[in-house]
Amino acid sequence: MKTRALTVSLAVLAVLLLVAGACGSDEDAVAPEPPAAAPAAEPAPAPEPPAPASEPAPAPEPVAEPPAAPEPAAAPPPAAAGVPADAGRFVYASPFPWVDLDPSSAFSAEHLVLQNVYETLTRFNPPGSAELLSPGLATSWESNEDATFWTFNLRDGVTFHDGAPFNAEAVRASLQRTIDLGLGAAFIFLPVESMEVVDDLTINFRLLWPAPMDLVLSSTFAAYIMSPDSVTQDATWFNDGNGAGTGPYTIASLSPSENVILTAYEDYWGGWSDGQFSEVEMRLVEDPVLAEQLVRSGDADFTFNLPFDVYPALETDTDLSVVRGVSMTNLFGMLNNVRLSPEVREALVLSFPYEDVVNNLYGGEATRATGPIPRTIWGSLDDSNLPQTDLARAAATLEAAGVSDLTLTYSYDVGEVEQEQIGEVWKALLATIGVELVLEPLTWDARWAIAQGDPAEAQDIYTMFWYPSYVTPTDFLYSLYRSEELPFFGLSYYKNPEFDALLDTADATSGTDTDAAAEMFRQAQQILVDDDVAVFMLDVPAVSVIRSDIEGYVPNPAYANVVWFYDLRRS
Amino acid sequence: MSRGSRRWAGYLLRRVFTSLLVILGVVTITFVVSRLVPSDPASLYAGARARPEQVEQVRADLNLDAPVLSQYVGYLGDLARGDMGISFATKRPIAEDLRRFLPATLELALSATALAVLLGVPAGVMAASRHRRLSDTGIRLLAVTGVSMPVFWSALILQLVFAAELGWLPLAGRTEATTVFAQPTGMFVIDSLVAGDWGGFVDVSRHLVMPVVVMAAFPLGLTIRLVRGTMLEVLGSDYIEAATVARIPRRTVLWRLALKNALLPALTVLGLTFAYSISSAFLVEAVFGWPGLGKYLTDAIVRVDFPVITAAALAITVIYVLVNLALDLLQARLDPRVELA
Amino acid sequence: MDPSDRLPPPSRFGLRGLPRRRGLPGVAGGAGGDAGHPARRLGAPGSSVWYFRRSRLGMGAAGVALVFVVAAIFAPWLTPFADAGRGVPDLSVRLQGPDGTYWLGTDDLGRDMLARLLFGARTALIVAVGVVALSVVIGVTVGAVAGYFGRWVDEVLMRITDTFLAFPPLLLAVLVAAALGASLRNTVIAIAVSWWPWYARQVRAQVLSLQRRPYVRAVQAIGVPSHSIIVRHVLPNAMAPVWVQATADLGAAVLTAAGLSFVGLGPRPPTADWGVMIAEGRQYVLSGQWWIAGFAGIAIVVAAMSFNLIGDVVRDVTDPRTRGEG
Repeated sequence: MKTRALTVSLAVLAVLLLVAGACGSDEDAVAPEPPAAAPAAEPAPAPEPPAPASEPAPAPEPVAEPPAAPEPAAAPPPAAAGVPADAGRFVYASPFPWVDLDPSSAFSAEHLVLQNVYETLTRFNPPGSAELLSPGLATSWESNEDATFWTFNLRDGVTFHDGAPFNAEAVRASLQRTIDLGLGAAFIFLPVESMEVVDDLTINFRLLWPAPMDLVLSSTFAAYIMSPDSVTQDATWFNDGNGAGTGPYTIASLSPSENVILTAYEDYWGGWSDGQFSEVEMRLVEDPVLAEQLVRSGDADFTFNLPFDVYPALETDTDLSVVRGVSMTNLFGMLNNVRLSPEVREALVLSFPYEDVVNNLYGGEATRATGPIPRTIWGSLDDSNLPQTDLARAAATLEAAGVSDLTLTYSYDVGEVEQEQIGEVWKALLATIGVELVLEPLTWDARWAIAQGDPAEAQDIYTMFWYPSYVTPTDFLYSLYRSEELPFFGLSYYKNPEFDALLDTADATSGTDTDAAAEMFRQAQQILVDDDVAVFMLDVPAVSVIRSDIEGYVPNPAYANVVWFYDLRRS
Repeated sequence: MSRGSRRWAGYLLRRVFTSLLVILGVVTITFVVSRLVPSDPASLYAGARARPEQVEQVRADLNLDAPVLSQYVGYLGDLARGDMGISFATKRPIAEDLRRFLPATLELALSATALAVLLGVPAGVMAASRHRRLSDTGIRLLAVTGVSMPVFWSALILQLVFAAELGWLPLAGRTEATTVFAQPTGMFVIDSLVAGDWGGFVDVSRHLVMPVVVMAAFPLGLTIRLVRGTMLEVLGSDYIEAATVARIPRRTVLWRLALKNALLPALTVLGLTFAYSISSAFLVEAVFGWPGLGKYLTDAIVRVDFPVITAAALAITVIYVLVNLALDLLQARLDPRVELA
Repeated sequence: MDPSDRLPPPSRFGLRGLPRRRGLPGVAGGAGGDAGHPARRLGAPGSSVWYFRRSRLGMGAAGVALVFVVAAIFAPWLTPFADAGRGVPDLSVRLQGPDGTYWLGTDDLGRDMLARLLFGARTALIVAVGVVALSVVIGVTVGAVAGYFGRWVDEVLMRITDTFLAFPPLLLAVLVAAALGASLRNTVIAIAVSWWPWYARQVRAQVLSLQRRPYVRAVQAIGVPSHSIIVRHVLPNAMAPVWVQATADLGAAVLTAAGLSFVGLGPRPPTADWGVMIAEGRQYVLSGQWWIAGFAGIAIVVAAMSFNLIGDVVRDVTDPRTRGEG
């Protein structure tokens, strides 16, 4: 985003705020923030999205000319009203809690629940699909030449769980609520200047600058459509287990830090047929050992985020399927650019045990990172310049710079097995060239608070997972490496106007010319690599476990670890 | 009013007063400890994506920029009104959460206490009566093992054997998810019985077995050692010897005369047992996915959610103080040897 | 006031006044054998040491404990894998079962488990001794001052002590450890913060009874300063039960530290720590790699048991009524 664009969007937000104020919204009007892209905050480590194919499918290319999508190809059989013959209960064991179930502001692991309760206008397809997007609540869409004006045609005959009809006004009100609250992933709507309800089933988006609105509306967060009544409610109401969407399931009960019970919504527009699940329990199981035991015994049907070492053993169990997929999550160690000289950063990048970690620690399932963006996302770097471990050069670099007796801190998430193992392996390597690495396990909140303080006093190396809110390189580069006045997610504390300018241009171009944008994104990433801004450790493998008698699970890396229960059947 | 009962009333008042004093002290300690937490409560409350201005706003709203002393006074005031605040992480009222989680923990702790006492007292008596024989040594070793086993280790072994291998008992949790009880107490064993739901009762009981056994191991060891020690002492006293000389049957001596005398001080065992049960709750609950106060507390520690940490610690401690108070009063009432001076 | 303050001395009364303890009822104080003045010659027939030596259980436990201490002190020289013990990984041999090279297998980073256990004994010993020492220092100071000066000093100090005692065991340690952050030093501090009151009470009771002894009155009468009386004349005779308690507490300290480590409040990696080994080894048990959590658990149980047994026997032999047991 251009600086000018930021200024404009600020102005727009200010106007929106005024409008919100004028409407007499009685919600806690949290001031919409300056447009700081802040995707995928991780109080808990990032979930890894799974997918069936074991080799990464070709990176999806966003379509510059928005396609007028056909009628849903995979539309389920015509609506047979009523709940299907009972397939029993499906139990989803989640290692991550859902803290904020407000569809406008949720921005952590809540999408696991919300994706089944609320729907979005479009949905990003799993890798290998013919089309980039599937129709959701919108059946078709089109835009003008320079992607600044979009028209979405909406699905007819859809009702919300509370009985209200779904229409263009409901879409406008839902997205307006999200924009007004300005929380979570609301920043994805920054390009939106206005929304116009044309008729009951048509809505227009007028944009401030070119943007792939169809892609934006497929976002994992913030793009949910809720009923007119829900729009007027506040977060507390949602977090009590209320809320009406159009999705196939409704929240029947909610026990904080225990479980969420979902039941089928009888009048779901897709209809129901025999063999689908009428009830789903999403159970919070934070202990991976417990989660593993639960899927083994059949007390749970699905789980993920188990330690990678257990998958080989799980594979020998015929009752279980280990599902591997494309991942859009990566792991990196942000190097403190304020504390560490370029030579020290270079030495750190040279000393990292890339091969050792990838081959040995993730059950051999991880892939080398090519750069700041996972290789599965368009615009990522290719394999030609993979960093190599070279301790001799690292030592020489340090010696040439006259650095000795170095003690560095490595801040990582407490309880994250692999981050800790990586730290221990790296520590041993660094010790051989006279650098002492001090491992600092802390909770995300605690270490993030420290990292946001004075960079000169903060950690030297900060490990982080990242996955995109919707599939775009901007999400990674903007949030993590663009100059920040005060540190937020940019915990390398990197400031480079040249990089910022290039990124802004690339982003503005991405709405119209993807190839040109991708090239610019690659140039921007090369700057980061050359400056040794971070150690790009690896792309995290996406592995999950599901009971083998469950059919219909198609992992989708754009929606990390979401299971659409509607698609499932028990054989 | 007799002189005795006046003294008793005085004692009671004094004991209640000192308990209140202790609770005030406990509140103070938890408050101080919570301020040592190395993270910024305001930014925690404001949420993961808050901007600095928002954080400052929260800091002002929560009175976190006030001097510590005034925060302390405010905290005391809130507590006095029964307001425990809201969780920084979940924004839910803590008092409500406590009402949910406390019964689950009490159910565990009370069951474990009962098990420890019901097994521990007879075992202790038996060991004492067979002093220095093989069974005595055996029971002693059992007791020492009980107090030397990390609960998370014994839990793992039990889970492997009885849930994963044999499949006799459920692995974790409190009930099958569909079991819901109307809540007179929140303790499902009782609730299911009140509701006359026999199937539910069986389900709940099956879930209780492993956590309770694991939780009871330590207090069981403790109870055995204490009862054995007291019994040995009582058995060595003159009047028991006199009874033995008078040819009163051994069984009567042991279970009637001696145990009666040994049990009085053993009331304290009850308090102790309960204390150890409840304090191992956070380990047991973590391993068994038991949605109780201990798990609530551990989760809060992980999230540095200090209003919850202080509130949960406070709740547990206050219960402990009250239990001790009750036991002390009971003992003072029953045991003539306690001076009420 | 807690009624136990006013109860007859424990040796006559038995249980009340002793128990609220980490599973380890205090030693019979006051009238107990070795607490007299002057002290009896070590090891003489009829002395506690003499009785201890005759206890097979005690001597067995002491033998095991000695092995543990030796292992802790000489860990680097007892294994060819000292580097692994210190935390240096070797990913080429991760998760290997017990065999001729790695007698107890290797852990998730390819480190020899035996070496890790030996170095873990070091951590455990440091924590146990550290906790007990720190608790004794604080507890004895507070207890002696309260007992000797009495009146309002006693009142204030004992109310503070009572407040700390009001926390269920472990809870305060967890709170403090959580607040200070995970590290070996903080583990020691956290546990000691919750343990010192037990020693304070015990010492106070001892000091109270010793103070009335003629020899203390005598030195007071000739104008010896208070601190000197406390340190020179009162404490030496008040310490016997403290040492007994301290021995018995070593086992509980090992166990408590393991609990803190298990919930992530233990020493930082790559420090070898038994509690951490169980916590991290748990996940491998189901897939058949039982030796990490298995051996670490055995190490904790054996160490804790030997100290607890020693504590038991020591308590028995220092109490005239139960002498010669075990």
